[in-house]
Amino acid sequence: MPNLLSIFSVMFLPILITIIILYGIKKKTDIYDVFIEGAKEGLHTCIDILPFIIGIFIGIEALTSSGAMDFIEKAAAPVFNFFAIPEELISLIFLRPVSGSGSLVVAERIMEISGPDSLVGRAASVMVGSCETIFYVLALYFGVTSVKKMRHSFTAGLIGYIAGIFASVYICKIL
Amino acid sequence: MMNRIWGFMLLIGVVFSIINGKTAEFTDGLMSSCTQAVQFIISLAGIMAVWSGLMKIAEVSGLIEKVSNAVKPLISFLFPYEKNDKTIAMMIMSFMANIFGAGNSATIFSLKAMELLDKENPHPSYASDAMCMFMALSMSMIQLVPITVIKIRSDLGSSAPEDIILPSIIAGLISMIISVLVCKIFERKNKNA
Repeated sequence: MPNLLSIFSVMFLPILITIIILYGIKKKTDIYDVFIEGAKEGLHTCIDILPFIIGIFIGIEALTSSGAMDFIEKAAAPVFNFFAIPEELISLIFLRPVSGSGSLVVAERIMEISGPDSLVGRAASVMVGSCETIFYVLALYFGVTSVKKMRHSFTAGLIGYIAGIFASVYICKIL
Repeated sequence: MMNRIWGFMLLIGVVFSIINGKTAEFTDGLMSSCTQAVQFIISLAGIMAVWSGLMKIAEVSGLIEKVSNAVKPLISFLFPYEKNDKTIAMMIMSFMANIFGAGNSATIFSLKAMELLDKENPHPSYASDAMCMFMALSMSMIQLVPITVIKIRSDLGSSAPEDIILPSIIAGLISMIISVLVCKIFERKNKNA
């Protein structure tokens, strides 16, 4: 089963490219010219989102390098104890919503200390595998729009994230 | 919303860096994080150009329209008012890329989808229902094989690095269902109001 899934994942992009190119040729599209035109637009989008990325990066850095994140984690510890969520996971739970690469480093450290097959190690793996970087996604995606009020997207993302955290820990406890 | 959150993050950072005597780390961190942001965009730029180019081929050749017509019935529950083929196709591509673990490509499709949704939005300063639903799905989309985590686990000597695949999918689905429900509840509430 895992092998079959891996094959699908590895084959996804090559298959997609083949379909697009073959269909383009079949419909007699000037595929190279059109590709260049699209690539140009893509690079423009990159420049458009750069200011948002810089904004998000320094905001997150401000919280982590100043030690504010450590304080928030310590302050929240009783809440996590109450729900029987292991303390080792708290920093991952707080970092995951804002930073994909940062949370991977934390997950790796957790697995190094507790062992990858322990409950904590498995729960950390499942969290990274199932919970998204919600704040980062919100800031980046709305960055390309003219939206000023996010309405219920924030609440929906946050509640979904919390549900994912609980599910990760409890599923690992059961299985 | 973002104005306040962002300002708050920076101010909290300044206050805590003074309390903790970490002002030097704070300053260094800010400087290096701007550079990281630029490096990140540079690493993204190549894939961005490739996918934008390929998707343009799919658009001009009519493939996008075809795919979008095929999946329209499936996503009409989530996006009842979405009619634009290109938007639907971009959203589907973003979900597929997420599911198959092509993270950077997913980001690119999502950004395109958001640009298109923005153009269709009758009240541009308020996020539309479709935007909120798309965001909620993007923030909770499952990934079939979390390759990076599996790699880390096997590097650290796990006896069963792939054992987390199924729990991850289940946890991801739970998170996704709940996000969609929250969206639907808000949509209904706003309609009645």
